Amino acid sequence: MPRMTATVSRGPHRRFRGRLQHATLAVLGSLAVSAWLYAAAPNALPVSEVAPGVFVHTGKTLALDVPGHDDIANVGFVIGARCVAVIDSGGSVRVGSALRAAVREHTPLPVCYVINTHVHVDHVLGNAAFKDDKPQFIGHAQLTAALARSREFFLKNYAADLDSPPGAEQIIGPDRTVAPGSDLDLDLGQRQLTLRAWPRAHTDCDLTVLDRGTATLWTGDLLFVGRTPVVDGSLKGWLGVMEDLARLPAKHVVPGHGAVSSELAAALEPQRRYLVALLQGVRDELAQGKPLQEAVRDVQPQKSQWQLWDETHPRNVARAYQELEWE
Amino acid sequence: MSCDRNPWRNRALDIGVLLLVVAAASPVLADSQSPAIGAWEPMRPQLYGTRDIGEVDDQLMSIEAPGTTPDPAATPVVLRFGGALAGRVKQVRVIIDNNPSPLVTTMDLKEGLPVDEIDLRVRIDRFTSVRAIAETIDGKLEMRSTWVNASGGCSAPPSAAAGGTLGQIRFRPSGDARSLQISIRHPNNSGFQIDPRTGDPIPPHFVSHIRLSAGGQTLMEADTGISLSENPTLRIASSKPLSSPLTVEATDIPTQERYTATWIAGSSSR
Repeated sequence: MPRMTATVSRGPHRRFRGRLQHATLAVLGSLAVSAWLYAAAPNALPVSEVAPGVFVHTGKTLALDVPGHDDIANVGFVIGARCVAVIDSGGSVRVGSALRAAVREHTPLPVCYVINTHVHVDHVLGNAAFKDDKPQFIGHAQLTAALARSREFFLKNYAADLDSPPGAEQIIGPDRTVAPGSDLDLDLGQRQLTLRAWPRAHTDCDLTVLDRGTATLWTGDLLFVGRTPVVDGSLKGWLGVMEDLARLPAKHVVPGHGAVSSELAAALEPQRRYLVALLQGVRDELAQGKPLQEAVRDVQPQKSQWQLWDETHPRNVARAYQELEWE
Repeated sequence: MSCDRNPWRNRALDIGVLLLVVAAASPVLADSQSPAIGAWEPMRPQLYGTRDIGEVDDQLMSIEAPGTTPDPAATPVVLRFGGALAGRVKQVRVIIDNNPSPLVTTMDLKEGLPVDEIDLRVRIDRFTSVRAIAETIDGKLEMRSTWVNASGGCSAPPSAAAGGTLGQIRFRPSGDARSLQISIRHPNNSGFQIDPRTGDPIPPHFVSHIRLSAGGQTLMEADTGISLSENPTLRIASSKPLSSPLTVEATDIPTQERYTATWIAGSSSR
């Protein structure tokens, strides 16, 4: 990317200025003020540049109810010649601010888009950190409704992940949406992103982002790597969507959770096998007239291959059962 | 979500009981760490007066539910009757103490009905006790309860299986025909879900009555409410093959529409 040289050079300069400021304050002996300054400028989220101008922060493998749960999703940004697109904002305003600080370490260009790949808390709660940048918030056409349903739940269960005092206005939904089955092209300046909204799969509002120039595909949670996939939309729908996803021209794959890779088909395969095993296992239970609770106990494929299995898999069986019992 | 703030009518419950329940449940909401004393205390005198309720023997009766539910919107609850209670239960109530509509169902059973297991699928809104109270044909009461940890089951969005033909009934027998799962395709809207387009509550629309009969004779009748999951499901099991044909009739509120289907052993789904 032509823009890279200019943007990367900003980082060291800013860090130098920071050191100078710190030295002056140290001379003044004002330790309290110094501490306040550090608190006011959040530590930047560590990111790596997976393709020129494409920066990814890899989330931790933690459950949703432990400390650090706000930093479990892969989030990041793409820098164009004109402006920056942020892709998912993390699970708290704190993580969102740290992501914003990471953007600032790499470019002075404005954040013009904040794109959310779906409604889940670990991907959207950081949106408020970008409010002052006045970006367009963009998501799937169903994201508005999905957030409306979730707002109260988020406020009740994740209040500590919002700025104090927590309020519904911090849970920012899209002001521009993409209809399911259609694409939206965004121009960041000499850089085109293609957003695609998918039919019901991981959730009912999944959206992918393809950076055309570098062929980097941000799958959102349509792809889990290592962490047990969460079925919150439709198991059959997801398997269908994965077939279409596999056809996208991707050289770099950024999953919603887990490691970035360069082989889309290989990255999709473990998840496909898990979802197929889940589908088969639950269908077998249904064919034998087994009730939901027995299916949850019996269907245990691939347990050793996935992280956070016990926190995730039983619910997947319950959801799959309810979907497939009406086949 | 906002379940606890919405006044709600359930025809199976006296309004007075319900208001008492809401009033009793409200102050405890602040403490979400420990399960609160919910609806049961105010409901007990209304439903059973001062009658003794036995709580002794798991051989007689048991209630089983997951300690942490995989899906708060569809938590399986299993009731089993054994020993002296087998075939001698005339009524069972299931109560979820901390749900906005605590009384899940009141089921009346025909005397001598050879059913020793009844499964339901319920919504659970928060950490709660789930209890079943059985009344025998000679007027004795037995109660069992269990704890379930959950959150948000009353206001969960519709599942992937939402929609379909309203009132469609499916039968899913086990291979030996000793158990039969009956599922009714119905949104069973609680009235607590929000229409995201308008911000208004989705109006209540739920299965209020289920009747099982054979040869014109009623085997089981259940008053049901909004604590049953979307696509309400009832499963019965016996120590011997169930007799067929078995007819199911379901009625909903507010339409009073009647849905019916008959299961014949040897056939699976309708």
